[in-house]
Amino acid sequence: MRFAAITVAAAALAAVMPFAGVSVYAGTLVYYAAYYLVLGQAWNMMSGLTGYVSFTHGALAGIGAYTAVLAINGGWPITLALVAAVAVTAFASLVIGVTSLRLRGTAFTFATLFFQELLLLGVRKLPAAGGAAGTTLQEILPTSLPHVLMVLTAAGATIAFALLRRSRTGVRLLAIKGDEDAAAAVGIDATRLKIGVFCASAALCGLAGGIHALFIASLHPESVFSVDTSIVALAVPLIGGVETALGPVAGAILYVGLREILQIVAPSLHLVIVGLLILLVTLFLRDGIIGAARRLLQRRRTYRAALETAR
Amino acid sequence: MTLILQLAINGLVFGSLLGLVALGLALVFGVMRLVNFAHGEFITLGAYATYLLVTTTGVSPLWGIPIAALLGATIGLAVQMLVISRLAGRPELEALMATYALSIVGLGLFALAFGGDFRTYSAGPAGNVTLAGVVVGWRSITVLVACVIVGAATLALVSRARTGLGFRAVAQNREAAAACGVNVVASERLAFSVSVALAAICGALISFIGTTTPNVGHEWLLDGFVVVIVGGLGSISGALVAALAIGLLHSFASYFLDDSWAQIMTYVLLYVALLVRPHGLLGARSAT
Repeated sequence: MRFAAITVAAAALAAVMPFAGVSVYAGTLVYYAAYYLVLGQAWNMMSGLTGYVSFTHGALAGIGAYTAVLAINGGWPITLALVAAVAVTAFASLVIGVTSLRLRGTAFTFATLFFQELLLLGVRKLPAAGGAAGTTLQEILPTSLPHVLMVLTAAGATIAFALLRRSRTGVRLLAIKGDEDAAAAVGIDATRLKIGVFCASAALCGLAGGIHALFIASLHPESVFSVDTSIVALAVPLIGGVETALGPVAGAILYVGLREILQIVAPSLHLVIVGLLILLVTLFLRDGIIGAARRLLQRRRTYRAALETAR
Repeated sequence: MTLILQLAINGLVFGSLLGLVALGLALVFGVMRLVNFAHGEFITLGAYATYLLVTTTGVSPLWGIPIAALLGATIGLAVQMLVISRLAGRPELEALMATYALSIVGLGLFALAFGGDFRTYSAGPAGNVTLAGVVVGWRSITVLVACVIVGAATLALVSRARTGLGFRAVAQNREAAAACGVNVVASERLAFSVSVALAAICGALISFIGTTTPNVGHEWLLDGFVVVIVGGLGSISGALVAALAIGLLHSFASYFLDDSWAQIMTYVLLYVALLVRPHGLLGARSAT
């Protein structure tokens, strides 16, 4: 409850930024942190809870972006276009889910890897989506609209993850990660759950992508379906700490900050640093920054308690 | 008829390179149950090493093969000791993330060092030979022969009594193998190192007949994954047949449609393979 209240308060603060005279630069940083937070929470839902690694969350957001732009250009109102973005992305995720989630292990990861590549190749061949040249949003919207929508979505995603993590479904998902055979033995329908949570996770990406399309307004297949966004979607929760609602929040803020610093210091080192961070966290800091911070707090607490008893 | 033969030979060259990529993947997967997402970056390493060797010293690109192999084996050993050895017994998510992170680092390093330019060189065997109306470049013939020699040498190593037995024992049960006196650490180091050397040799050969970019290895790796999945992960003969089949598919589809359609068809094959393989990538053994 307290967690939800803090999240809502933070979101409200971030959402009024464009109207409170904060500089465009700061507003953009907050916007991107919110965008990456939504993608990170979506990845956390699927891969963080079930252990099935997705390399395609950026491409799922790309589907949402394309759907939204094509719908708005076709004369649909923005709300309906965003609904369509969610629906199309969720449906597309079934292509991966149904082919690979019946199987154990790496099959899913392979299916996501190739989904990303196939989408890029496919969209470039699709004249309706503008082909290789991409497409542009015909309506001109104020950037405050996607800003507010994205911040609210990020808050919603974070609260939704926290609720899911504590629910029975969340425990079942974690059981699949722990030992799928044992989970199946106690009556958990792993296949259905995995496909369901992946679909929900994809829907969230679709919404984020749709909103992001309103922000960037012009879509090029190479950048929309670039692997980079998918890397961010998994780097954010991994660096912050998987399985927790707070992890991606810390990860998104850290990532956006790091990217800005690198932009000034060493713009071309970006990929190398992100890769190294993921590697180091995976090898040495398995529960991410949030996990490390918690352990540190715990140690201080026990230390203080020991001091008290000594007195 | 001449056209079909011509396309078949192109497919054969492409397929033999794919087979070598797949062999490296299958070796590491077979021994360590590890899917190495960084395999593609080791291909790129071999390609750039050969490119630099040829353009700076002017020697024949054939020297790129042993140099790349040596470089690959050394770097592979280092990566195995620093990163991969820490992954034994870890959950799959962490092993995947670690090799994926390695791949991102490699991609970033190559982009940093070489930029996005397409790099080629003209040194080495040149010209064509005409056999029954089919024009075959000497470069293609060199690649084909090199692939067969390197592939056969690797298979000989894997099936050789002690080394191969060690590999298979570690693959079946790491602890039991160690208890029976198999040097598990050495087996795993050797397997990974040989696999990376194979990737680097592939890169050297690819730089020879194609263009080198920071992405080149990644693209070959995707096709390599399709090959090992269609052929059945862990089955070397299955992978070789799949490599030739996909090589032919690619060659014919690129000619009659275009390059992207060839890629789309290859990638769709992966989903088909997943659908018709209800027991997973390893067949019956995937239960564990």
